[in-house]
Amino acid sequence: MIKKRVFTGLKHLLLMLLSFIAVFPIYWMIISSLKGDPEIFNYLPFSKDLKFENYQYAFQAMPIGKMLVNSFVNSAVQTVFQLIVAVLAAYGLVRWDFPGKTILYSLFTLTWLVPFQAIMIPNYVQINEWGLNGTVTAIILPYMASSFACISMYQAFASFPKALIDAGRMDGSGELQVLKNIVLPSMGASVASLGIILFINSWNDYMWPMLITKKLEQAPIQIGLKSFVGADVNMWGSMMAATTVSCLPILIIYLVLQRNIVDSFMKWGIK
Amino acid sequence: MDPIIANDLMTYGKTVKKDRKTQWFQYVKPYLFLLPAIAIIIFWVYKPLLQTLQYSLYKWSMVPGTQPEYVGLANFTKLFKNKDFIPALKNTVIYIAGMLPFSVVLPLFIAAATHDLAGKAKNLYRALIFVPMIMPPVAVAIIFQWLLHPSNGLVNHLLLTWGITSDNIAFFANEAFAKTMIILISGWKMIGFSTLMFSSALSNIDFQYYEAAKLDGAGSIRRFFDMTLVLLSPTVMLMLMISVLFAGQWSFAYIDLLTTGGPFGSSTNIFYLMYKFAFNDLNVGLCAATATLFFIVFGIIALLMQFLSKKFAFYDN
Repeated sequence: MIKKRVFTGLKHLLLMLLSFIAVFPIYWMIISSLKGDPEIFNYLPFSKDLKFENYQYAFQAMPIGKMLVNSFVNSAVQTVFQLIVAVLAAYGLVRWDFPGKTILYSLFTLTWLVPFQAIMIPNYVQINEWGLNGTVTAIILPYMASSFACISMYQAFASFPKALIDAGRMDGSGELQVLKNIVLPSMGASVASLGIILFINSWNDYMWPMLITKKLEQAPIQIGLKSFVGADVNMWGSMMAATTVSCLPILIIYLVLQRNIVDSFMKWGIK
Repeated sequence: MDPIIANDLMTYGKTVKKDRKTQWFQYVKPYLFLLPAIAIIIFWVYKPLLQTLQYSLYKWSMVPGTQPEYVGLANFTKLFKNKDFIPALKNTVIYIAGMLPFSVVLPLFIAAATHDLAGKAKNLYRALIFVPMIMPPVAVAIIFQWLLHPSNGLVNHLLLTWGITSDNIAFFANEAFAKTMIILISGWKMIGFSTLMFSSALSNIDFQYYEAAKLDGAGSIRRFFDMTLVLLSPTVMLMLMISVLFAGQWSFAYIDLLTTGGPFGSSTNIFYLMYKFAFNDLNVGLCAATATLFFIVFGIIALLMQFLSKKFAFYDN
């Protein structure tokens, strides 16, 4: 009995340590952003005097508002497109058996063997040819469909009873109506949680937006921040303020929907 | 002709036509639903992949108005002579090996250790350990740049106060530390996700196995190696495969933001080298040759692991 208690105690200790390691860097970012100039170098894990001057300065020094809007537009448009395309594809795969189904499905699954670096040049050249380099549109275009989204949606749809689809067809509704009125309402939760993952993914995307972005005014916030990395000036407070702002939407979504997000990641894994 | 019959014939003709049209449409319908997804993925993934394979045989600098020049396999021979290639290759292997503790070993033990914790505690730990996973890589890089700053960072401050070191360490500008730091940061971001994957796999395991083993008197360590590990082997193989295929790419953002591959190429890897070939040296051919080589090598690794997984993983049906 005692042995078991010690064992459980050790487990909790280990987990607390891991939780601390996971969360502390993020906490340190937030608390540093709230410390005034003299305080930031005192290394205390709290602030005696919370100040927002770092945020004021960050918003003055960088076009943060504009970059946030760019990020929102980029992530929202990507998410909506990926969801629509994935819902259509998933419905097609679940509803019918047709020649070539396996081949088309493997086109989705095989994309994860293609590293981004293997396709970056042709895509970059393509965007240049269209004269879109530097625009938010260029960031969105290659990500209007995600094979991860298609596969996930297909797996979610696979559990939907086929009899209900057939019943809907008997009523004389078209396929799109069946999809909209019968399938989607009961798949709402799956679509929503996939949407959240897709939004987080595009908000956090790094490499492609970095290649495309030319000016701060057109940059998503993550890429805008990059131009301030390595500029070794002692404005750590405002740097941390800008960084906090850049992950605020994600952190808020996580705080509100934490169980939901953890569960969907468990179900679906990563991109 | 009798007008009524003529009329009948006309409607008959129409229905036949309509039937044919609907039949044709019925046949095409599934493909129409898949068309947007497939078209976009072919255009932005598979077409460029083929173009890259083609570029590997050409010399080109991406300068508008210039034409790629056919050079055969010269890019491949140049690649093996490139002084950065072999070190980057070695580093890629080190990055992959360095990620394994964070993507497989530790998460496996943590998941097993926490499996029978009460619901509330389990969920709280899960929620906290998972946070790094969703953080934007740029934000993560900046946070660690601040924590590990040579003169003002918290880590150096603590190391000095506790008397562990006597000098400030410039973690990202020091050959001995740069790569390790990149691995630790990538690992910090990965560990929560892997732990979740293993936990969820564990909760799908039938508890009867454990009850039986307990009755047989198997201790918890025996149970871990003889049962948990065996029952989780499909997930272990999956995480192993994901980790091998993606470790190099997970560290990309941190290499780019924190060390740019340095000092002296000590933290670069093959994916970062490809980026440099293309966008620093404007050498499309060399980048494409590297990509081609790696596409083939990683393809073989993936197939091999898939084969191993089928052969050795235990599936409980």
